[in-house]
Amino acid sequence: MLISAQNISYKINEKKLFHNLSFEVFSGEGLHIKGGNGSGKSTLIKILLGITSITKGSIEYNNKDLKISYLGHKNAIKHYLTPSQNLELLFDDATLSNAFEWLEKLDLFQMQDELTANLSFGQQKKLALIRVLAQSSELIVLDEPFVGLDHAASDLLNNFFIQKLSEGTGIILTSHIYPSFECQVISLGERNV
Amino acid sequence: MFRFLKIESFKLFYKLKSWLGPMLIMILVLTAFPLSIDISQFDLEKFYFSIIVVSLLMTSFLATEGMFEEDFEDGSLEQEFLVEKDFYKIVLSKIFVYVCFIGVPIAFIGAIFSFANGVAIGSFMNVFFLLSLSNLLLFNLFAFGNALSINKGAMLGVLTTLPLALPVIILLGTAIRSIQYEDGFLEISSLMIGVSFLISAIMPLIISTALKTHID
Amino acid sequence: MISAFIHKFSSPKSFVRITKTLYPFLIFIGLSMLIVGWVWGLLFAPQDAVQGNSYRIIFLHVPAVIFAELIYFFMALCALMHLVWRVKLAAYLIKSAAPIGAMITFIGLFSGSVWGIPTWGTWWQWDARITSTLILFIMYLGILTLHGSFSNLEKSDRLMSILVVIGVVNIPIIKKSVDWWSTLHQPASISVSGGSSIDPSMLYPLLISIIGLGFTLISLGILSSRSYILGREKNKKWVSEYV
Repeated sequence: MLISAQNISYKINEKKLFHNLSFEVFSGEGLHIKGGNGSGKSTLIKILLGITSITKGSIEYNNKDLKISYLGHKNAIKHYLTPSQNLELLFDDATLSNAFEWLEKLDLFQMQDELTANLSFGQQKKLALIRVLAQSSELIVLDEPFVGLDHAASDLLNNFFIQKLSEGTGIILTSHIYPSFECQVISLGERNV
Repeated sequence: MFRFLKIESFKLFYKLKSWLGPMLIMILVLTAFPLSIDISQFDLEKFYFSIIVVSLLMTSFLATEGMFEEDFEDGSLEQEFLVEKDFYKIVLSKIFVYVCFIGVPIAFIGAIFSFANGVAIGSFMNVFFLLSLSNLLLFNLFAFGNALSINKGAMLGVLTTLPLALPVIILLGTAIRSIQYEDGFLEISSLMIGVSFLISAIMPLIISTALKTHID
Repeated sequence: MISAFIHKFSSPKSFVRITKTLYPFLIFIGLSMLIVGWVWGLLFAPQDAVQGNSYRIIFLHVPAVIFAELIYFFMALCALMHLVWRVKLAAYLIKSAAPIGAMITFIGLFSGSVWGIPTWGTWWQWDARITSTLILFIMYLGILTLHGSFSNLEKSDRLMSILVVIGVVNIPIIKKSVDWWSTLHQPASISVSGGSSIDPSMLYPLLISIIGLGFTLISLGILSSRSYILGREKNKKWVSEYV
């Protein structure tokens, strides 16, 4: 078991976003969180990461130092730096070459010395995803990873998920489209009280 | 810790506007002031310092504006939280880097201008030292205001931190008087060093609490 | 154990219940004492040997500045309770006390200025104490603005509490500043330990108006916090039952 949530509830400004939610994610398993806009998908992701604290219930990790790689809807890349400088900030010397391989796979290699601000939305998203792709971790958490990606990149991402699942990594993601791998589905909104 | 220092200085180095802007404004104000009013050299020597102090206040506010905003807006803070679970180190290194890159040069500019306006060369180091210390204090305080009012604009920042910055200004004023009258500089500067140490250790703690509240 | 105790007696629900019965008494006591104090002070107390009649503004000025500070202390206490024990009521009380504090600080500043004209010949002086009271006023405004600028109210509660606790450093500076820098401002007229420098015939109406203003402000605070609590917790069951 990587992460388990027991009867978690969350309230914002005294309004219940979700109530008594329970699930578990084991290594090599995927979890797809779906729900309409404002149903609390991103909040749930942040709760799982320990950023937002819950009103009730408990969340347990298999160990305290569970290695999570995460990308939210904020890209966490610097617009005034070039893609290669961004990667230098993110990765240490050992993993940097791996990151640059992904840059090439994602068709960004020829853009590496331009300012990130000049990249298109999808290209920025791809650059941001390298943070997750080129890092080894036990749990991958993604908030709407497919938004803005073209077909080729989506396929690449899906293949990456399938490979990671087979390697025993857990994956939690929110998305409007169904990922092409087997996973549990939680749908928010229907449980809303 | 070293990693953060490296990252922060790397980022700041490429944000030309953030570090060059405050310095230019410092120079601009200090040059414009004597030009803007007709004033005798004698009077100027008497209160040129108050202009330096006020421009120090202004520029350090400018320099720290958006200090955490960028990291908050683009999600870097969330990412850091996953690794560190705490922002103390990142805040500490950020303030340190900002003071080194912006605060100390501004203090140097202030000291040069005070020298040009009649302060004895022997006091130059004292003035430079005092202004750097005050910048350290001001940067810490304004960083706090910034962390509280992330992306809510400068007005809120001023309202929240100006009350805290005023004692620093008063302290600096007393210290400068001690240089001018050559009396009690050692006491007042050691007081300032003590306060600076205290504030630089405690403030990042408070700032990191505020930042944690923001990403919550 | 402390936290369990605090939480038991600090639910917004019991606050609203208790204050409902308390409130009419407090406002009655407060207003009647205020009237007695002011009528006595303005009409019956003797003239001041130096300042003549103009000193009479003391009956507004001194109570106002006392509560300008006291309210801030109260808020700081609440802020600590909110930060340490996560007491929700404490945050509600800060939010409701801040406008009252801002108002009374403004009254203190304004009455001080009015008093300054006949006695010092100037309505404003960059005197340490006046300056720090002005800063106190700015702090109140800052707190109010800060709380108003976030959509997540629990977040603003916490940030506001942090600001209030940090700002409390300012209060001792206000207190001590008169001693640190020699200024125009007269030293405090009333002291708890030593004798007061004010004649009993003026002291009694002053004390009465201080206490009267205190009760009036408390009842004002209760009034505003009650409406704030009911507004904040309107989605809770107890509110709909209560209303």
